[in-house]
Amino acid sequence: MSSQPDRRARFESLADVVFDSLQRYLHRRLDPEDASDAFAETLLVIWRRIDEVPAGDVLPWCYAVARRVVANQRRGNERRLRLVQRLSFEPPPPPVTVGSHGDPELEAALDQLGEMDREILRLWAWEGLEPREIAPVLGLTVNAATLRLSRAKKKLAVELGAMRQDQDAIGHRTDDTPRSKR
Amino acid sequence: MNDELRARLARIDPMPPGVPTEAVTAQSSQELLEEIISTQVTEGVLDPARKGLWMSVAAAMVLVVGVAAAFALGRDGEPLVLGASEPDITQICMQFTVEQLATAEVAFEGTAISVDGSSVELQVDRWFKGGDTGRVVLQAPTGMELLIDGIVFEVGTSYLISATDGTVDYCGYSGEANDQLRSAFEAAFGG
Repeated sequence: MSSQPDRRARFESLADVVFDSLQRYLHRRLDPEDASDAFAETLLVIWRRIDEVPAGDVLPWCYAVARRVVANQRRGNERRLRLVQRLSFEPPPPPVTVGSHGDPELEAALDQLGEMDREILRLWAWEGLEPREIAPVLGLTVNAATLRLSRAKKKLAVELGAMRQDQDAIGHRTDDTPRSKR
Repeated sequence: MNDELRARLARIDPMPPGVPTEAVTAQSSQELLEEIISTQVTEGVLDPARKGLWMSVAAAMVLVVGVAAAFALGRDGEPLVLGASEPDITQICMQFTVEQLATAEVAFEGTAISVDGSSVELQVDRWFKGGDTGRVVLQAPTGMELLIDGIVFEVGTSYLISATDGTVDYCGYSGEANDQLRSAFEAAFGG
């Protein structure tokens, strides 16, 4: 194990790199209060394991820690450490995005996918990761991550296509109704 | 289509780059980091049987691993039952090795024949080690969803599963069947 000053320097330098990205990752997946708690918890796990953080691109490793924290929070896990609760971080809530018009069709299509497919698409589009970076976050090989991402994209495209067909069918029925009454 | 889909997904990002986060240089951030660094915890180890897969973790951070060690050798047509749940958040996967895989007590290839929120039943296509039943059930602990890191179970899909102490091994030691993982199983268990 490295000396305490070395560990501290490594942690502080790593925090500079991941502070923004981890907050975004957690706020994308949890409500603001849970995200703040999860952020403190994630940083604590990273500090405890600082000697094991890989050299090079540290973000996927840190996302993997955050992902497990999120999974625990989602299960309503009450087995959290008192120390962590004391460390709760309460930054001001992020402002509501102005100008976001949403995309109900896309959101509905995403809801039709399994959680793993949704998560791999979020990591790709929101965190901007490529399969080689997604792999360590999800505990997959790079090949498996590539395949899963490709499959998730196809499933999403199928869902979007099915919704368009449904809408077209509704549109046609709507168009037909007045004609049949004439 | 790729770029278009990625851009469309990015437009529903609830935390796009333009939304600010708390800066690492802010006083509250520095206080948080300082408090974390000054936190005293004692070292501990995980179940020795599994420490080959998982690194040791701080005992104060260990959240009880909610794994049901339901492990019963199937008899008279009864399926083998293995426990499964998401690994502890403090556990990080070590590099996959065939040598580590070879230490698993149970290893098989099977096709999912039923999947629900807390269990998966597999029809065994091939035993590598540790059993001879026709079916294996992967069972989450009571009240918990079956979550195996990185694996999504779908009926009709084949999986390669290894287990130790009656619990499914994660970190790439179990997964959807493919040539690469099958070769590793064959190398570990002598095909």
